[in-house]
Amino acid sequence: MSAGEQPRGLRLVVADDHPIWRDAVERDLTAAGLEVVGTAGDGQKAVRVCTAVRPDVLVCDLQMPGLSGVGVTAAVVPLGVKVLVLSASGEQVDVLEAVKAGATGYLLKSASAQDLVDAVRRTAVGEAVFTPGLAGLVLGEYRRTATQEGAPTLTNRETEVLRLVAKGLTAKQVADRLVVSHRTVENHVQNTLTKLQLHNRSQLVRYALEQGLDG
Amino acid sequence: MTRPIRSAARADLRLDAALWRAVSLFRCAALLYAVVAVLASFRNYRDRDFALLVLSAMAAWTVVMVLQTPPSKVLLTVDVLVTLAAQQSSLLILTRHQIDTGHPTITVCWAAAPVAAWAVRSGWVAGGVAGVVVAAGAVVERQGASQATINSAVLLVLLGTVVGYLVTLSRRAESAYAEAVRLQAETAERDRLAREVHDGVLQTLALVARRSPDPELVQLATGQEQALRRLVGAAAVLPTGESDLRGLLPARPGVEVAAPAEPVTLPAKVAQELAAAVAATVDNALLHGGTTAWLLVEDEPDQVTVSIRDDGPGIPAGRLEEAARGGRLGVASSIRGRVEDLGGTVTWVSTPGQGTEVEIRVRR
Repeated sequence: MSAGEQPRGLRLVVADDHPIWRDAVERDLTAAGLEVVGTAGDGQKAVRVCTAVRPDVLVCDLQMPGLSGVGVTAAVVPLGVKVLVLSASGEQVDVLEAVKAGATGYLLKSASAQDLVDAVRRTAVGEAVFTPGLAGLVLGEYRRTATQEGAPTLTNRETEVLRLVAKGLTAKQVADRLVVSHRTVENHVQNTLTKLQLHNRSQLVRYALEQGLDG
Repeated sequence: MTRPIRSAARADLRLDAALWRAVSLFRCAALLYAVVAVLASFRNYRDRDFALLVLSAMAAWTVVMVLQTPPSKVLLTVDVLVTLAAQQSSLLILTRHQIDTGHPTITVCWAAAPVAAWAVRSGWVAGGVAGVVVAAGAVVERQGASQATINSAVLLVLLGTVVGYLVTLSRRAESAYAEAVRLQAETAERDRLAREVHDGVLQTLALVARRSPDPELVQLATGQEQALRRLVGAAAVLPTGESDLRGLLPARPGVEVAAPAEPVTLPAKVAQELAAAVAATVDNALLHGGTTAWLLVEDEPDQVTVSIRDDGPGIPAGRLEEAARGGRLGVASSIRGRVEDLGGTVTWVSTPGQGTEVEIRVRR
């Protein structure tokens, strides 16, 4: 997955409740020539900052006091802010919820500075940052809801692609193995996310309508 | 967390102490009753001095038994013998007429104390046997089985069995309670550790992994972070007797795990065996030229699949079969055997330039 053309002057917000971490992430991003226009140490502040400055990408921790990373994601995605989740390992349930709420990337906190910068750039241009871990989560979610009525399903090809990504193959290796183009692989991956997010949104809307009608 | 465990252990001791206190109380109250009964009939006794002597001996023995709790089996056997002797002394103290007309014997209900004691010490069988022995003594003492004698004999045996049964029940309830408290404390402690570790050590390890220029250090820190997180995160065996496979998979540098967000549960034994087979596969992969192993865990309604891919040179086509013919299957065969014992299957696929893939499937 290439970074595509490198957009200049990206504006970012970093949200993390650990000051040391927040500073480290900010330093790495600034050092790579990206502009960090705001930081937040809790969920509510992250939403306020994003509403005010409308960054291209929010780099967001999951476990924060007040509003969690999942809540922040749900609040800022409708503003047109793209969300890259930066989480410690072992928070799979929250990562999945954040992705369903509209986050398009997920990176472990232990990833290198170079990986982080790369992931932020890809998130900014609308590419999904699909680590093997995220592919495993998404695949698991489709399997879990397979028997539920109205839940989205994967095509055979999409399942195949997700499995290969989850097994650590790069987009290029997947493309080689399936004898398709790199672009096709990216599309398949993107589709699996979009279907989950659409379903999640339609469920939220239905839930809101039901609550409204009953209330 | 040490507090609930210690109090659970103390509760166990408290139950025993309370039971023995009850037996001691019974002994003292029965002795008091015997004193009152003896004094009421004293004037008509055949041998008053002997009556006083036996009563004093009973009092002394009561003191011994109250001080010696919990009593040993030997002491309780002596207790039964002393009681039988005291019972039989009635033959020398009461007149023939008093015995036949159902006057209270010198021991009255004091004779039931060893029955209760055996029941408390060893359960309903011992209590019942002690009841039969003391009841037999009473029949001999009365020199025949009148209706009243039979009644008290039945009561003695019932006392032994019922008290013994209840004591066993409460001990079982007590240990079940202690176990529940222990489990709860363990879970609470795990949660507390997880919180503390999450806020401290894990963040630091992740930061070390992030900022260190030394790739080896990065790998170490990453691996330790993941291992530690799993250690504090996953309860080994769930209350249902199942285990979450995700918590059992190898967590170390060079192993990347992709798994569902929800627990992948299998019977504890199956999960352990499967995880061991996966660990052996990973070891094998990293031993033969791979630097990273990717694990993918898939949870389907009828089966669980774990795929292990490495970035090594791969197995040349036909080499596995060749090895089997030469009787040198080694690791591959031990992994296959292990999985087949679980009713599962293993397939090896090697793609040139993309390492080796092993898929282990286990039916639910």
